[in-house]
Order: sequence, then C-alpha cells, then structure tokens
Amino acid sequence: MNRWLSPLLLLAASFALAGCGRPFDVKTAPGLVELDDQEPEYSYRAIAPERVVMAVRVVDTKGRGDLEFWTRATTLRMHELDGYALLGTADVKSRDGTPGHELRFGHDEGHKPFLYVLRVFVAGKRLFLVETGGPQPQMERYEATLDWMQATLKLD
Amino acid sequence: MKRAYLGVLLVSVGLALGTAGCAGGESAGAKAPSGVAMAAPEPPPPPPPAPGVAGQPGGGAMALAMNDPAKAKSVSDSPHSAAMLIYTANLSLAVFQVEPGLDAVERVARDEGGYLSSRQDNAITIRVPRDRFDDTIVRIEKLGDVTHRDIKAQDVTDEFVDLQARLKNAYSIRDRLNELLSKAAVKEALEIEKELGRVTEDIERMEGKLKLLRDQMAFSTVTVTFAPVAVEQVQDSTILAPFPWMRGLGLQSLLNVHQ
Repeated sequence: MNRWLSPLLLLAASFALAGCGRPFDVKTAPGLVELDDQEPEYSYRAIAPERVVMAVRVVDTKGRGDLEFWTRATTLRMHELDGYALLGTADVKSRDGTPGHELRFGHDEGHKPFLYVLRVFVAGKRLFLVETGGPQPQMERYEATLDWMQATLKLD
Repeated sequence: MKRAYLGVLLVSVGLALGTAGCAGGESAGAKAPSGVAMAAPEPPPPPPPAPGVAGQPGGGAMALAMNDPAKAKSVSDSPHSAAMLIYTANLSLAVFQVEPGLDAVERVARDEGGYLSSRQDNAITIRVPRDRFDDTIVRIEKLGDVTHRDIKAQDVTDEFVDLQARLKNAYSIRDRLNELLSKAAVKEALEIEKELGRVTEDIERMEGKLKLLRDQMAFSTVTVTFAPVAVEQVQDSTILAPFPWMRGLGLQSLLNVHQ
C-alpha cells in the first residue's frame, strides 16, 4: 500500500505545483511548448518553433476598473504609445463564461508585419490578459491552434 | 553802405531764426521776434472730437494710466476736450491661440475705419480714427484676458502752437530773403542763397513735424501684444499607462523568450 502511496502523493504534489496557484487553467496545444519560470511577468507562456507565442498575465487590480476600463486602457496603451494599428475588436468568452474583449493589432517589426492579439477578461479582483503574437504568416498558420488554446482558458 | 546794410540784415535774420529755434518747449503763446513781419501760414485743422480720455486742465503733457474706466469718463467730461491730444494704447492679452487673436484685431481696425500699421508673430499695431479709439479698446479687450493695459493721451498743444509760430517766422524770413535776393549783387547773393537754403530746410522740417502731429492726432495708435495662456505640459507615457505591467504589453516582451 505504502509502496503505491508515495508515488501517487508525489504525482499529486507535482500536479499541484504545476498549477502552482494559477487562478486559471489553459491547455497547451500540440505544436507548442509551455515554458517554465515565466513569473513574474507571465503566469503562462507557450511557444511554437516558428516564433508564435501565447501568454497569460494575471494582474491583481484590487477590484479597481471594470472590463471596459481595462480594455480602453490597454487599447490606448498599444495604439497611442506604441503605434500598434487596431485591426479589429470582438466580444469573446472564456470557457467558464466570463465575458471579455479581443483586440487585434498589427505592427511592423523590422519592416515585417506582425500580429498581436490581446484578450482582456476581468474576474473577481483580477485582470486576465491573454496575449498571442508572432509574424503574420505564422500567426495565420497557427490560427486554429491558438483559437483552440484560447477556448480552453478557464478562469477561477 | 549797401554792404553794411546787408550785413545788418543777415545778422538780424540769424538772430530771428535763432530766437525762433529757442522757442521750442515754451508755452503755447510763442511770440514772433520783434521787427519781423508775420506771414499768414495755413491755419491748423480743428482738432477732431475727443474720445473718452482728454486733456488735463493746464494743457501740459499728460499720460493717463487708464486702469479705472470711471476715472476716464470723468476726465473726458472736463472742459479741456479741445486740447490737441495724441492717443496711444498698449495692451497685452493672454489668449489660447495667438494667430486668430491677431486676425481679430486686424478686423477690428477695419471695422472701425482704421488700418493695419504693423504685424509681427505675436504683436500687432493698428491705427484707428480718434473718435473710434474707445470703441476699439473695448472690442479688443474682449478678445482675451487683459494682462497689461497702458493708455496714454499726450497733449501736444504747446508743441503744435510753437511749431506754427516758428513756421510763420520762417515763412516771413524766407520772403524777406527772397526780396533781398532780387536786389543783391552777385557776391551778396551767394550769402543770401546760403541763408535761404537753411531757412527752407527749417521750413520743410517744421512742416513735416506738423503733418506728423496732425496724423497722430487724427489716428490713434493701438498696439496689442498676445501671449498664449500657459498650459502645463502633459507627460505622454506615464499618464496613459500608470500601471507598470502595462509597459510589458506588446510583441517585444511577448516574443523575447529567454530561458
């Protein structure tokens, strides 16, 4: 009994550590690999070999600001300060039904077009920012994969 | 005998002109030197009706700081409004946009029957008929916040009358010199012509000065200097993104993967 218990406990502990108190759950699609030790900037970051990246940030807002506020703030931040072109917006939902906004930006990096997609959610006293980005052709190739990953996002 | 007579005459002419020249700055009733016949130069034009500010009793040069409109009103009601006055105004206005302010002042000048005198980047000088001076000031002061106002009424009655008197003398002297010239011998004629040239030069200078005074009395000068209202400089980056994590958004941070 004890022979089996120890490995199981270790396995459970490793699962707990892997989640490590993340207030969300997201699945990494085949073709991407999750990176370790991305804190404090990112709570989750996964990459594809073609330089397509998906990341999740969690910000403790202490309950300040609603979804519209943070969407507007991040839009201005990207558009006004960094010159990102706002290509489109959409209403989205996480797997648990939390409403959010998607902002699609375009930006030239070294004269090459890149896409940067930001999803904004507010749940409880936290702000969730789901970022995906990469060179435009690769982003288009990985579109279905990234959509699937986005769809697996569940907020606590 | 003839030469002696000419010498006496030239000396007397010199004395007369010298005396007339010294008359500047004396009171309005400058008298002609004795022994010189008074010619009849053109009379000065009647002064135009005085605007809101007018001369001080006594007719001395006057500068009015028009910070109190009520005071200005009472001064204009004084019985000395017929004094020869030159009105000038210097106004400083704070405005949000300087260029439209300059345009507006130019329009006021045209509306009031005046004209543009000069225009720089942030200042403009206009001339308006003397009787439109008050209305012009009122209209201009509505264009912005008045930060400085300096309105002066300079009484030039003494200077004007004195110039007229000296001019009369000069005309008279010129006539007599011409008369002498017609009778003089060649050598004497040279000296008379030299003196005649000097007198003519004096006459032209005095006529020019009188013309300038008349113009300054007929048209008041208003100079307006604009200063943009001070606006605090807004910082560009930190105000829009006062949350440190926001600076990490974007492709640069997202795609720079270091393990």
